Amino acid sequence: MRLEFCGVGKQFGEHQALLDITLAVPEFQSLAIIGPSGGGKTTLLRIIAGLEIPEKGHLSINGQRLEVHEEALLAHRRTIGTVFQAYNLFPHLTALENVVLPLVKVHGLPEREARDTAGALFERFQLAGHAQRRPAELSGGQQQRVAIVRAIAIKPRFLLFDEPTSALDPEMTAEVLDFIAELRGEGRDLIIVTHNMGFAREVSDQCLFIASGEVQEAGDSGDLFRNPRSPLLVNFLAKVLRY
Amino acid sequence: MQQFTTHTFGQPVAAAARVLSWCLVLLVTTAIFSFAFSQLQYGWNWGAIWQYRQKFLQGWLMTVIISAASLAVSLVIGLVTALARRSAFLPLRYTAVLYVEAIRGTPLLVQILILFYVVANAFGVENRYVVGIITLSLFAGAYLAEMIRSGIESIHDSQLESARAIGLTKVQTYRYVIFPQVLRQLIPPLTGQFASIIKDSSLLSIIAVSEFTLNAQEVNAFTYSTLESYLPLAVGYLLLTLPVSLISRALERKFHYAT
Amino acid sequence: MKVRAAFFLLTVAALLMLSTSAPAAEPVKPLIVGMELAYPPFEMTDTAGKPSGVSVDIATELAKSLGRPVVIQNTAFDGLIPALKTGKVDVVISSMTATAERATSIDFSDPYLTTGLCLLLRKDSAAQTIADLDKAGVKVAVKKGTTGHIYATTRLKKAQILVLDKESAAVLEVSQGKADAFIYDQMSTYQNWQRNKATTRAILEPFQKESWAVGIRKGNDALKNKVNTFIKEYRGKGGFEQLGDRYLKEMKDEFKRLGYSFFL
Repeated sequence: MRLEFCGVGKQFGEHQALLDITLAVPEFQSLAIIGPSGGGKTTLLRIIAGLEIPEKGHLSINGQRLEVHEEALLAHRRTIGTVFQAYNLFPHLTALENVVLPLVKVHGLPEREARDTAGALFERFQLAGHAQRRPAELSGGQQQRVAIVRAIAIKPRFLLFDEPTSALDPEMTAEVLDFIAELRGEGRDLIIVTHNMGFAREVSDQCLFIASGEVQEAGDSGDLFRNPRSPLLVNFLAKVLRY
Repeated sequence: MQQFTTHTFGQPVAAAARVLSWCLVLLVTTAIFSFAFSQLQYGWNWGAIWQYRQKFLQGWLMTVIISAASLAVSLVIGLVTALARRSAFLPLRYTAVLYVEAIRGTPLLVQILILFYVVANAFGVENRYVVGIITLSLFAGAYLAEMIRSGIESIHDSQLESARAIGLTKVQTYRYVIFPQVLRQLIPPLTGQFASIIKDSSLLSIIAVSEFTLNAQEVNAFTYSTLESYLPLAVGYLLLTLPVSLISRALERKFHYAT
Repeated sequence: MKVRAAFFLLTVAALLMLSTSAPAAEPVKPLIVGMELAYPPFEMTDTAGKPSGVSVDIATELAKSLGRPVVIQNTAFDGLIPALKTGKVDVVISSMTATAERATSIDFSDPYLTTGLCLLLRKDSAAQTIADLDKAGVKVAVKKGTTGHIYATTRLKKAQILVLDKESAAVLEVSQGKADAFIYDQMSTYQNWQRNKATTRAILEPFQKESWAVGIRKGNDALKNKVNTFIKEYRGKGGFEQLGDRYLKEMKDEFKRLGYSFFL
């Protein structure tokens, strides 16, 4: 997929989260966004997800400009899948019901068909045993995987991940990252904000490094990680890759 | 379900021990009351009460009807008020705040008198039973509104985010995410409110609504058998409130889940 | 030596005086009189909140005649007989009518006042007698526990009976048109009519004569006899006459004008 930012800026009260992002990302299947906390990467992702409206500028996805009024954004959100760091699922519904809900209420699938679709996905990704459990009865890793299943069940154009493993311990992190890698292997388009550099390097085609509200460096992942050019990125990688 | 069986020092307690303890407690309580009554030098006269059993029954049924109607109406009022309280339209929001503060800040007795003899009179509403139900509903509605509002606000923002991300509209979010959870959370305080309504309905006797308490008082007035009139009164209310509390616990158990 | 002797003598004298003074008097039990202070001018409170009225004066005189201090116990009307039965009060002087039914629970002294049940009617009510009110659709207000309440429940089979706690509520119901009539005693009916001339009318000829008496616990004949003696003596002294003049002068004159006999 292609992504283009034209002068995108976003402010929260006094704080300027993004300052004039202008960039055309070359065609990619998976894009990693990395950078220090508070640097603006989550804000950027949320704009792509249609959850925030930029004060100025606009972005285009696959050549089509993303309109910034609520109706268009609602329609946009319905065609993509977003997975947050935590609390994706609704606690009063079982894992299966969580996946069925958007299929039936947003995409108008008949209940039976939705259950079958969800059931099949659960089978496929080794979650069948957890279908009838409530989120509180699942481990963090299982919850995230169910959230991902919910995101892919609606057959999204592409997937967005906002630090999907930051709240998980290393074992569960691997579980979830394996899943995402598998999805990438199936040819799905995805954009992922992550602290996990190893994963970013392995799994992404293109990479953006965002700090202080600006794109400090962007390009092919392999290149970027091997030969970081900007001092900020050099510093950042040195710190992050130390342990 | 660990947390619903009695525990002491973290070990579940055997059924036998529980039964025995209940028996002991009830025995001691009965003994205390029996002693207190025996000290009264009171001439018990149950025959007189039996004569008036029809009156007791009619009053009890009226209390049931009034309580049920008030609960239903108060739920609607509470819900509407809770939503109004969060509305972006300020006059609506302020009306809700005014209503809740006024009702929660004044005694029910005063509300009953004012609503019947002043407000209903001004609007020409004659039927004291209707006014009684409306008064009770307004009273309970204010408390329910606060419970519902805090229930709604207790739903974590992240869930609203999630709902947005999967493309649910605001209405759908309320319907499928917020309200199902709020309802479950509400069960304990809601049943507490129902029990309150049942007991508070006794105050409607002030405006000559012929409910359970007034009927018992009338029997007392005719027969001067005070204890024989008022003991069945207490039992009659317990017959209503105990099942409510048992059902509440059963529902709590059914909908229990960790968040 | 003289000082010491004097001191010693003084002490002895003092001790003697103390020992020969009246044996430590047993505290006299007060006479606890039950009444509902919501019935002017018989049972009411003055502006300072102290009990006052005809019945309070009668109670004070009675207690004086018994050589005991008086204590007025303010109790709701329908709680007076239970209070008497359980010994919470010694006598009830609360403008209470002596009825056969009540006499099964408590004893009554000789009557000290005769009056009767009257009607306070809605201004535009057409009723002329109590029988006119015994119809479907008619609402009759009564105060809980009074003879009016008993009369209405036993004799008015077709009307709807509204049982209220307080006289003021019952009057309000009539004046607001929520009730057609309020059955109560003659004097209060007169007063309530005076205060609500615009919205009510009154029929002041009693349809049921009643007499008030002092309530005494069943079996306490000693006290009953003392009370009866007191009533006779007090009346002989003109005591009741004085009370009538003090509290009920206007009503006395008005009743004379209207041709009703006065009753105290």
